[in-house]
Amino acid sequence: MKFAYYPGCSAQSTCKELNASLLVVAEKLGLELTEYASASCTGSREIRAVRPELFLALNARIMAMAERDNLPLMTVCNTCTLNFLDTQKRLEEDPEAKDRVNEVLKAEGLRYRGKCRVTHFLWMLLDDIGAERLRHMVVRPLKGLKLAAFYGCHIVRPPAHFQFFDSRNARSIETINSILGCESIDYSGRTECCGFHTAAANEKVAIKLTGRHIKSAKDGGAQAMVTPCPLCHTVLDTFQREMEREVKQKLNVPVLHLPQLVGLALGLAPEQLQLDRHMVPVALPL
Amino acid sequence: MHDSNEDRLNRLKEGDFITARICRLDPSIDKAPYFETYRVPYVKWMRVLDVLIHISEGLCVEYAHRWYCGVKKCGTCAVRVNGRETLSCWEPAQPDMVIEPLRHLPVVRDLIVDREPYERKVMELRPLLMRTQPYPGLPEYITDREMRAASYAMDCINCMACYSACPVLDLGTETNFSGPAPLVQLAQVALDPRDGLDRSSLIEHTASISECVSCYRCEEVCPAEIPIVSRVIEPLKALAFAISPANKKHQAAFLEIVRDRGRIDPSALVLKTQGLRALLSPVRALRLWMKGKISPSKTFLGWTIPGVEQVRRLFSAVKGA
Repeated sequence: MKFAYYPGCSAQSTCKELNASLLVVAEKLGLELTEYASASCTGSREIRAVRPELFLALNARIMAMAERDNLPLMTVCNTCTLNFLDTQKRLEEDPEAKDRVNEVLKAEGLRYRGKCRVTHFLWMLLDDIGAERLRHMVVRPLKGLKLAAFYGCHIVRPPAHFQFFDSRNARSIETINSILGCESIDYSGRTECCGFHTAAANEKVAIKLTGRHIKSAKDGGAQAMVTPCPLCHTVLDTFQREMEREVKQKLNVPVLHLPQLVGLALGLAPEQLQLDRHMVPVALPL
Repeated sequence: MHDSNEDRLNRLKEGDFITARICRLDPSIDKAPYFETYRVPYVKWMRVLDVLIHISEGLCVEYAHRWYCGVKKCGTCAVRVNGRETLSCWEPAQPDMVIEPLRHLPVVRDLIVDREPYERKVMELRPLLMRTQPYPGLPEYITDREMRAASYAMDCINCMACYSACPVLDLGTETNFSGPAPLVQLAQVALDPRDGLDRSSLIEHTASISECVSCYRCEEVCPAEIPIVSRVIEPLKALAFAISPANKKHQAAFLEIVRDRGRIDPSALVLKTQGLRALLSPVRALRLWMKGKISPSKTFLGWTIPGVEQVRRLFSAVKGA
């Protein structure tokens, strides 16, 4: 199974362990990945808001590379996923903008056609590998582990696009948890916001919002959390000390990247998955 | 298998009972809200509003809820059903419902909230068209293309479902964020090409638009299906940035880093955005560095992605916004 793989900025800086674990898990899953070293940032929320046409060009450029190689494009970041999908939708609705973007991409010999399938590691597990095959690949079922799935926003909203309907009904991570042999707990923060996109300017909002979600997971019996998004991970993991002061309770809830969780069940060693690189030490009852 | 509301309703026969737990509060008597449970006979295609009317006109005549048109136009009947904001006139009843008032507004009684704080915020944002050119008289020549940007916000029915759903407003007095609904009112004029008022300070400071977390909760509940994040909040941010980039330090820093390096270096972004304040937590920086989460050498030596010149070319080739 071949994919163009787009790690994004976080998985190559603050969450290097995500990129590292994805690469070893991909090998285990039999995925053949093509990476584009010259792929830029997708513009996150910032370029997207203040320079929308540049935002379209940055995203179309990366998708054009995958189209050139006739590969579906797989991400590991919620916000990047939404940016690609939004660009596709905008350029489909506005053929004039698509022509302008292609005019700019011409100099690099690229052409955006709008045919690239965009997917996320989470969706790929269920859509491409499939529940049955994944179940057969599990060599170390994660029995006894109680997990809280933290979806984040940009993989379940905005509604009415990209087959997102009602974020409350998101079940994909819980489905994967059960395939891997662990238990999922229910709690109030499942599809809530981590506040990452205001955190670089001021972490106050992120700390106040997300502290409640981790507390709710902990009170619900979670031994760890798992997220498909490095941005959520950054907030959940690196600000947890500050959140403890906010909720006036010891939290100490380890937060796993989804590929790390899958990797554990596929028999990979914690060192290969770089579980030691988190701010909250990962001690799992396995 | 997923058991949808439609499936559950289909199993109900006319005359079966549905259960509604309604939130009650009379602030002049009660110290805290409490719940009462009523059983209401199901009628096919019953709406939440029909359940509320059945309760207030028979089972509990002092129960207060507000509604007027009953057809998704007036925006007065928004409530929360099982934790989700919705118009009671447009939402199918569910076999088991918890019905509560909107959040972030004081309760007058039961399901009725006081709209005054919201209306005050709207007025602070001066949502009136301020022309630079004199009004040319009727008919005024203006095309749908010119009005497109403002048109999305014009679908608003003022129901305040988004105002209740916004997680940032949970922070109460600790945030200055106006919330989505007032910004929708502002966008109706700010994105109108005939408007000439410099609204950058209103957007940036009065509305504190930078505190929007881009979670799309507002879009998820909007009964008018307004793309509030992408067609209201982001264009307003772009407007404020175009007028005074200096006020949007974070966005300016983000653009600069991606242009120079091709990718975001989070430490560089935090340093540029927060300035010296970022250096106030050296212990934290040390912990991050020890876990390999920040890389001072990359940050200070200006590391770039291979082929960054192609990214820089896009920055100069794509004109304007």
